Amino acid sequence: MTSTIKARNLRRKFGQTRALDGIDLDIPAGRIVGLIGPNGAGKTTALKAILGLSRFDGELSVLGLDPARQRDKLMQDVCFIADVAVLPRWARVRQIIDVTEKLHPRFSRERCLHYLKQTKIQHNSKIKALSKGMIVQLHLALVMSINAKLLVLDEPTLGLDILFRKKFYSNLLNEYFDEQRTILITTHQVEEVEHILTDLVFIKDGKLILNSSMDDVQERYTELMVKPDQADNARELQPLHERVMFGRHIFLFDHADPDRLLELGEIHQPSVADLFVALMTDPEPMADFTEDAA
Amino acid sequence: MIRSTFDTLWTLMRRELWESPIAFKWTPLAVGALIVLFVIIMLIIGARIDAEMALTGDALRTLADQAPEQRRLMVSGVLFSISTIFFQLMLLVILFYLAGSLFDDRKDRSILYWKSLPVSDQMTVVSKVATACLLIPGLFLAAIILTQLVLLLIATGYALLAGVNPVTALWLPASLPKLWTIMALGLLVQALWLLPIYAWLLFCSSWAPRLPILIAIGVPAAISFIQHAWTLATSMSLPGLNLGLILLKRLGTGVLPMNIQMEVGDNMSDIEFSEELFMSFSSLGSHLVRLEMWIGLGLALVLLAAAVWFRRRATDN
Repeated sequence: MTSTIKARNLRRKFGQTRALDGIDLDIPAGRIVGLIGPNGAGKTTALKAILGLSRFDGELSVLGLDPARQRDKLMQDVCFIADVAVLPRWARVRQIIDVTEKLHPRFSRERCLHYLKQTKIQHNSKIKALSKGMIVQLHLALVMSINAKLLVLDEPTLGLDILFRKKFYSNLLNEYFDEQRTILITTHQVEEVEHILTDLVFIKDGKLILNSSMDDVQERYTELMVKPDQADNARELQPLHERVMFGRHIFLFDHADPDRLLELGEIHQPSVADLFVALMTDPEPMADFTEDAA
Repeated sequence: MIRSTFDTLWTLMRRELWESPIAFKWTPLAVGALIVLFVIIMLIIGARIDAEMALTGDALRTLADQAPEQRRLMVSGVLFSISTIFFQLMLLVILFYLAGSLFDDRKDRSILYWKSLPVSDQMTVVSKVATACLLIPGLFLAAIILTQLVLLLIATGYALLAGVNPVTALWLPASLPKLWTIMALGLLVQALWLLPIYAWLLFCSSWAPRLPILIAIGVPAAISFIQHAWTLATSMSLPGLNLGLILLKRLGTGVLPMNIQMEVGDNMSDIEFSEELFMSFSSLGSHLVRLEMWIGLGLALVLLAAAVWFRRRATDN
């Protein structure tokens, strides 16, 4: 089975800034990959390269095609929401459905109407008359009605209320996702997606700093919570990160021996958000912090 | 394969119509309505002065007494001249449409939606060209035909009142099938003649960071001004061949589909007002074999290829 996305030394420079700085990535079919990174880390640049929307250096193949040259062919099997609210504002809802049906061979009108029924969107409304959240709902309905092999979602739920967000992710997992499909998703609301992800990719300053399956992540990283008197002992085990909450010190360890940690305090599975904070924080200030504490 | 290409093209052209219904549909209909309204007002004013409509009746009877050629020239001439106001407005609509066509979706970021559909960038650009060359002229022609029919029906009413046979005096001399065929073919030839200008606008629209219409006008205007000033300063004479003049001449001769053969600066009094001027298939065909036509088409292809190149690289910012 070939990879859905295969990138080798993917690079992109904007002036002096390296938006993508040599990324290697392999995403097989049947995965839900979270691409997580702070603002300006290169997430959108990477997605745009994958979708054939911008130039890049290095090797990149998506479903066996070169996205820079074969975007129109690629879009038969890929669909994406690259950003919020980009539907043409002059169009009516039914016109957008018509156009998508005529232009996309894998679009299913029934599915789209089924998803729209769960919203308050009227078919005759102009898109500019819809609220921001409703435009996102409409766009999600369109995209989920396309029988694609790769679905790319860039901040798909921005501006949506929590009820719809929950429903969207449950639809995505239960009705849309299957073994043949791959979903690549970026979001700042990590807590909402961490339960559906199969793979986790962290990107920072154009480089990947974590790229592994959720199972590996859970095996690799352990969170230890200790009382202050044990903090120095914990620091000797070289944690990746330390924070203090309610008078307890919380350390994050990579490849630690759980038996040793258990002697010091309670151990937990770190949440993706905590892992993100730990891995994104620069090591320099972290060292200062340890010295100060000592 | 070919069928699906045409289906896609047709869908994209319908999309253009949905985006600009006012410019494409309601503008020509409004012009037609204004012309009809103007005629009705004139007739009402006429009825005030001349309650029996004696003058109108006399005019119709005089027309009916003319020789067949004269009748044809007058009726079809009037109907044709009505169409000219449509054509001038149509050109404006097309120029503004093309300048915005590859720009507006970049500005409102909906390009990200259009590029998520399996439609090639060539197809997108071709659909804009086809809209300018076929769809818009087709809609304007439909409005012209509608207006001409309404006016002929009004005239028919007056002819019946004046005891003139409307078929021989009006409908046959109007030679509608020939007039409409000539206009349709004329619009196609006009579109080919103006294609380099259309392609230039599309090209500007494909990359301009803002105000594509100003860039499209400003760049050739600046070049011809500099050329003008340079020749004047270096050789104390005006340039014989100036970009601005070439463009203006092409636009000026292309405003009406039938008057491409008029040369700006020629002795206008030489032009004899005859049916040949606007009702001739041979003068239409003769444009297709002119060298200027083919130079223009070659230039248009280069500009369109460049527009596709920019479109492929275009995203929302």
